[in-house]
Amino acid sequence: MPAAAALLLLAAPLCPPQDEAPEPPAGRPLIFRVDRIETLAGEPIENGFLQVRDGVIEKIGDVLVVPEGAVVHDLRGDGSTILPPLVLARAGFLIHSTRGGGRNGRFRAIDSLWLEEGELHDLLAEGILIVAIDPPGDGIPGRTSVLATDVEGHRPEALVEDLHLRLRMEGGLRGAKDLMRKAIADAEKAIEKEKEARAAWEKARAEWEARQKAEAEQKKQQEQKQGQEQGSGGRSEPSARGRGSAQEPPPGQDGGRNGGKEEEQEPPKEFQPPKIDPNLVPVVEWLRRERVAWVSFDKPAAVLHWLDLLGDRDPAWSAILGGGSRFSRFAGNFMEVRDALAAAGVRVLLPAVLPNLPYTRIPTHPAAELDQAGVEIVLLPPRGDLEGVRSFRLALADLVREGLDRRIALEAVTLRPAAALGQEEIVRPLEVGAPANFIVFDGDVLDPTAEVQYVLHDGRVVFDRSLEEEEE
Amino acid sequence: MMSWIVLALVLAGPAPLAAAPAVPVPSLRRLAQEPPPEQPTEEPKAEAEDGNGKEGTSPYLAVVGGEVHTVTDGVLPAATVLCKGDRILKVGAGVRVPEGARVIDATGMKVYPGLIAVRSSGIVSGRGESVRDEYDPFALNVDLGLAGGLTAVETGGAVAKLLRHSVEGALIGKPDWVTVSYSPSSPRARREWRARLEGARDFLRRQRSYEAAKAAGEEDISPPDPKSVNQQALRLLQRQATARFNADSAKDLLAVCELLEDFPMNAVIFGGREAWTLADRLGRTGARLVITPRAKRRPDPELSRPNGWSIENARILWEHGVEFAIVPGQAYITTGGIAGRDLLTLPMEVAFAIRGGLPEEAALRSITIDAARILGVEDRIGSIEPGKDADLIVCDGDLFDYRTFVQWAVVAGDIAYDKQMAPYFAHIRPRPEPSAGEVIDAVIEGIRDQQDEAAEDGGDGGSNRAGDGS
Repeated sequence: MPAAAALLLLAAPLCPPQDEAPEPPAGRPLIFRVDRIETLAGEPIENGFLQVRDGVIEKIGDVLVVPEGAVVHDLRGDGSTILPPLVLARAGFLIHSTRGGGRNGRFRAIDSLWLEEGELHDLLAEGILIVAIDPPGDGIPGRTSVLATDVEGHRPEALVEDLHLRLRMEGGLRGAKDLMRKAIADAEKAIEKEKEARAAWEKARAEWEARQKAEAEQKKQQEQKQGQEQGSGGRSEPSARGRGSAQEPPPGQDGGRNGGKEEEQEPPKEFQPPKIDPNLVPVVEWLRRERVAWVSFDKPAAVLHWLDLLGDRDPAWSAILGGGSRFSRFAGNFMEVRDALAAAGVRVLLPAVLPNLPYTRIPTHPAAELDQAGVEIVLLPPRGDLEGVRSFRLALADLVREGLDRRIALEAVTLRPAAALGQEEIVRPLEVGAPANFIVFDGDVLDPTAEVQYVLHDGRVVFDRSLEEEEE
Repeated sequence: MMSWIVLALVLAGPAPLAAAPAVPVPSLRRLAQEPPPEQPTEEPKAEAEDGNGKEGTSPYLAVVGGEVHTVTDGVLPAATVLCKGDRILKVGAGVRVPEGARVIDATGMKVYPGLIAVRSSGIVSGRGESVRDEYDPFALNVDLGLAGGLTAVETGGAVAKLLRHSVEGALIGKPDWVTVSYSPSSPRARREWRARLEGARDFLRRQRSYEAAKAAGEEDISPPDPKSVNQQALRLLQRQATARFNADSAKDLLAVCELLEDFPMNAVIFGGREAWTLADRLGRTGARLVITPRAKRRPDPELSRPNGWSIENARILWEHGVEFAIVPGQAYITTGGIAGRDLLTLPMEVAFAIRGGLPEEAALRSITIDAARILGVEDRIGSIEPGKDADLIVCDGDLFDYRTFVQWAVVAGDIAYDKQMAPYFAHIRPRPEPSAGEVIDAVIEGIRDQQDEAAEDGGDGGSNRAGDGS
């Protein structure tokens, strides 16, 4: 058997890639051999292989022993790379409906979703396996949802239907600030009201229980007393009388008391919180730290006004820099709030662009500067449409060329957005035992001419470029 | 030569040169670190306390060695302005600079209070109270306003401070002005205002006699009904509000004077192109003016009295004790040139008043303390005095010289503008870079300091400096 394995090992590089069978029958391993594996778990593996079996990564390394029955894809030679799948943390363009501004917290993005044919597939072809969608509208438009891109239909099932509270500090500062201020004030009032209601319920419950206890005690004492009387008196008749006397008056008393109790009514066993306006519910949850808010800002001043608005409150939030669907060419002055964002300790989502300082041709590098300031950055495509997604890696390459650490850049489009969306179990560093979710490029990730060849989700090949081309 | 500098820099290691993360242009001079001739009453500490400094930044900011034009207390040569948090702590020649303070080396430069525009548009967004929620410290025009030396502006009935790095405290006042339309060209409006003021005066008289009668013990009297009185007129006569007039011609100004003589009240008059023709009368009414020295009014040759505009307008008003502020013809900022007629070059407008004979001291007042007084914020801004807001500018020459640039603008104790760091004028007569000799001296001094500190087992030392050189 080892001899056979050795033979296979020798033979493997000579074998042509078996592209005709991308997905092996169950139980058979699937192997990808590439020039570089960006595991994002440690150093990249050069000239490595990744072996998948039953939906998980079975082996990863640089010395391959091809097991029996394995299907091997050998893509070595052109700088091919394997990377955890890309994650698009914000995609407004998948939503085709519109809504105005105001307080619309009750809406979920998924409810506004009606996909055009092949829209998700286009993202899959760019290596994006997970995408978060924004509810339409301004102000407080609702809650975000998360989708996998390997699903079908106009209204596919979501991974998470109801995730972050979306807030937009955009447009006129006063209007936006007023809206948020009032929402926060109302939510705090609702929290206070609930607290008061709970305290009142607890008090009523405690009093009621104490009364019950006291009555039970009284009853017990009476019974004991009667028992004693019974013990001291005759045996047959008095006991019957005693029982009768013990039973008869209490029903009368009990009846009276019960009547009183009926009037009082037993407080409910479970606390019934007062009703909250459904548009306010996610804000309340956010202030209680049960939910994260994703706040977008179209100008740096909005960040300061937001911090001013929060004051001493400390609910969880992440910042999205750049309003609408794109970053202004002159949004370089976002760097003015770099330290404020770093001090707030929040995650920052920003488009992969190098904007100029306002009214100048002086470029800035917000991603690298924020990263250096210790901020966890998540990168978004340079534009909020499919074209932006298609130029995502080119933009990423620009950022890396201008000084952003390559590893940070790759994490900022894979692991970090996945963690921000709670999908860290799907998009994980590539290690043995991890679910086989990854993408295979025919060149370097940051080479804009390289294309995604395969996307794997739980070991299934959900995108195969050769099949697409065949179809065409 | 360069290799020596490099060597010296390498030897110096983390000398003060490298210890300036907050301000990328470190000073290379030793500044006022000698033992103080005069101890501050409050012993300053190096660590960050309150104030608006960022965490880890000293609350102290010292502007050292400049010629300080305090406005209210004369000119102090080679003095230090020490600010703590957003206030001025000390001003004088012997002020000790606390260790760790941020330092601006103003040697050879002039320090003035931040300039104030009594009218502006397009610099700060929002009107009145809404400035609080709409202030954009990163707006281009805020930066340009600072480059022009402005640190506070009136905007839509509010006074806003041109803060650069925060939004808190942008709104510092709301002048209580009542616009009074009182022109001979509109007899109806004049009649109405007179009637309102007469009604208010009558009410006040009746109120006084009611109070006197009540004090005398009379009982069956009723107080006058305030509902029948125009409340604005009442507030004006009680000097709780200021009447705001627009009047340029002598005729209009005369009408205003007559009104103010009949109904004494606080007044501010915008315009005043022919004010010089009746300066004595204006002076007696106590009205303040907001003038534009270059605003022209063609003289009418048919009139026998003096009329038309005069470059001497400001001087004549000053001589007659009329307080005034100066604004340029366009109360906004354009980028159409560095010596335009807008708020980018406010001192240039004032320079024309100086050309007409106005003393420089009075000229400076017109865009600092007198402007603050007109806006009702003179207790906070308009002069360099301990206790006042730390709003000041450092200029590389006389404020009214056309070549002068603002090198630094400090607003609420924060360095809001640094010419060398801003993209607008850094290339025009750049701040002189230190010579190789100065670099070596500074490095050697840094090494000595480190050695001294080591010998003393001292603290962290290192000032964050903004100084000359880049």
